[in-house]
Amino acid sequence: MNRTVRYKSSVEPVYTDGRDIDTEVATLTGEAADQEASGAADKHLKHEMQVWQQLPMPQPGDPTYYNVPMLNEPVWEWAIPTYYYVGGLTGAALVLSAAAQTGNSRGREELIRRCHWIGLIGASVSGGLLIYDLGMPSRFFNMLRVFRPTSVMNMGAWILAGTGAMAFLALTLRGRKNWRGKTGEIAGYLAGIFGAGLATYTGVLTANTAVPVWQASRKILPVLFGTSAMSSVGALFELTVENSEERRLTKIFGTAGQIAEFAASIAMEKQTSVVPRVGRPLRRGLSGFLWRTAMVLTAGGLVLGLIPKPTKRRRLAAGIAGTLGSALMRASVEHLGTASARDARASFQQQRAGYGAAELANRSNQ
Amino acid sequence: MAATKGFFTDTTLCIGCKACEVACKQWNQLPDDGFLFSGMSYDNTVHLGGSTWRHVAFIERPVPLNTQDGGAFSWLFSSDVCKHCARAGCLESCPTGAIIRTEYGSVYVQPDVCNGCGYCIVSCPFGVINRREEDGRAWKCTLCYDRLRDDLTPACAKACPTESIQFGDLDQLRERASERVEQLHRRGMPEAYLYGASAEDQPGTEGLNAFFLLVDKPEVYNLPPDPVAPGKKVKDAWVAAGAAAAGMALAAIGAVLFGGERA
Repeated sequence: MNRTVRYKSSVEPVYTDGRDIDTEVATLTGEAADQEASGAADKHLKHEMQVWQQLPMPQPGDPTYYNVPMLNEPVWEWAIPTYYYVGGLTGAALVLSAAAQTGNSRGREELIRRCHWIGLIGASVSGGLLIYDLGMPSRFFNMLRVFRPTSVMNMGAWILAGTGAMAFLALTLRGRKNWRGKTGEIAGYLAGIFGAGLATYTGVLTANTAVPVWQASRKILPVLFGTSAMSSVGALFELTVENSEERRLTKIFGTAGQIAEFAASIAMEKQTSVVPRVGRPLRRGLSGFLWRTAMVLTAGGLVLGLIPKPTKRRRLAAGIAGTLGSALMRASVEHLGTASARDARASFQQQRAGYGAAELANRSNQ
Repeated sequence: MAATKGFFTDTTLCIGCKACEVACKQWNQLPDDGFLFSGMSYDNTVHLGGSTWRHVAFIERPVPLNTQDGGAFSWLFSSDVCKHCARAGCLESCPTGAIIRTEYGSVYVQPDVCNGCGYCIVSCPFGVINRREEDGRAWKCTLCYDRLRDDLTPACAKACPTESIQFGDLDQLRERASERVEQLHRRGMPEAYLYGASAEDQPGTEGLNAFFLLVDKPEVYNLPPDPVAPGKKVKDAWVAAGAAAAGMALAAIGAVLFGGERA
C-alpha cells in the first residue's frame, strides 16, 4: 500500500495511507479499501480556489454554488485527441482506397497499397494511444468482452478492431491468386466501411456526453471529424508522396474535405452560440485560440493548395498547414469540452433555455 | 429481485454536521482527499469525486427564510450523493459493462472490471463519478451494496442524526416525501419542492433513486435544473455520423471518377 506524508514541514510528519486505520486491529476489506492514496489527491481540485473578500452575493437570476464546476471534467489527455487525428486519417484513407478499388485510374494500385499500409499502421497506433490513456491499460480487452450498442466507446473499440483486421487482410491477401486475392479484395471494401465508421464515430463519442458544448454540437461534431479526416489524408499525401498520379486522387478528396471542414466549423460556431454561454469556449481562452488557429490553418492549407501551377515548396506548405489544422482541430475540441465542463453556468443556462431534457419533450410534441 | 431502494434527502432537516461524509469514508475505507481550505463557507469537501461519495453543501444566502430567524440571511445545507438515476448516463456509456444495475435498482461500478476509460465521467449529468489518479479506475457511491446484502441501512443514512437522509423502498420514500412537502407548505415554507422524485419530475433521468427536497433553485445546490442522460440524444449524432460517412464515400468515389487518368 502506498503511503503519503502529511504535515511535511511540521515537527512530526505523519505517514499515512489516507485512512489512519491501524491494520493490527482492523482489516482493510471495505468497498474502497484498495484505493491508494499517494498524495495525488492533494491536487484533485484543478481549478483555483478563491477565498472570499466579502460574502458572495448570489445573483437571484443566475445562481451557482460558489462558481464550483457542476460537472467533473474530462480526464482524457493528449493521447485521445491524437487518437482522433490518427484514427480519422486511417479511416478516411481506407474509404479512399475502397473507392479506388472500383476504378481503373493510373497509379491506383500504389495508392491502394499505401492506404492499406496507413490503415494497418494507423489502426495499431490508434490502439496503442487508446490503451495508453486507460487508467488500467492491462484491462483494455474488457472492452471487447461485451457488445454494447448503448456505449459509443464500446462500438468504437469494435470498429477499430474491425478496421485493423480488414486492413491487415487487404494488405496481405490482395493481388494474390484465387480465393486469397478475392478475400483480400472483399477485405479492402470492408476496410472502407469500417474506416468510414472509424473516422466519424469519434464525433458521436464526444457528442454523447453531458458536457454542454459537446452536447450542443452533437449534430455537427461527427461531420466535423469526418471532413477533417478527409483533409488530413489529402495533406499527408501532399507532404509525403512524390507520385503525382496518386496525389491527383488524394488532392480532390482532401480539398473536398477541407472545404467541408471549414463549413462544418462555421456551422459548429452557429450551433453552439444558440445559448451564448455554451459557445463561449470557442471564443475565449486557450480553447478559443486553438479553435481559431485550427480554422486559419485549414483555410490557409486550402488556399495554398488551390493556387494554380503548384511549386514543391507551396505543396509542402499546404501539406503542413492542412495536417496541423486537422490535428489542432481535435485538440481544440478536447479543450472546448474541458473549458465547458468547468463552467457550471454553461450547463445551467443551456438547460434553462430549454436545451436539456426539455428539448426531447418539445420534439415529441411536434 | 428486491424492491428498488433509494435515498430521500430532506435538505430542510440537514444541520451540516458532515456525519454522513465521515460515516461513508469510514465504512467504505475511502482515503482522504487531501486537506485543503477551500474558503467556501464550511465546505472544504467541495465536490463529489472518486473518493468522496457524500458531500455536504453549505449555502449562505442573503435571502430570508421564515423558518430561520437570521433576518435577511439564511443557511441552506444539503448532503449530495450519487443519484442512482433510473436512466443512468454512466451505466449506458460504460464500454466494459463494469457499471451495472443491482437487484436494489442502484447503479454499481465493479472495481474488478473497470478499466478506467473515463467515459462515464463525461456522461454523468451531475458530475458524480470520477477517476482516481492513483488506481486509474472510476468510483462512486455504491448505495452501500455490501451493507444492503446484510439488510443494513447505508452508512450515511444510519449516521444522519436528523433523518435528513432517509433510506428505504423508493415507493415509500416518495410517499413520505410528498407528505413532507405538503406539511412544509402548511407550516409556511412554500418554497419546498421535490427534485427528481419521479420520471415526470425529471424526464431526462427518468427519476432519481436518490432524490431531494429543496427550497431554492437546483443551481443554488450545484444541481442541474433539467439534466438529461446523454444517451437520450445520441441518435442525432449517429444520424450525423451516417451522413458524414456517406459524404466521405461520395467524395472518394467522385475523386476516383474525376481525378484519375484512365490506365
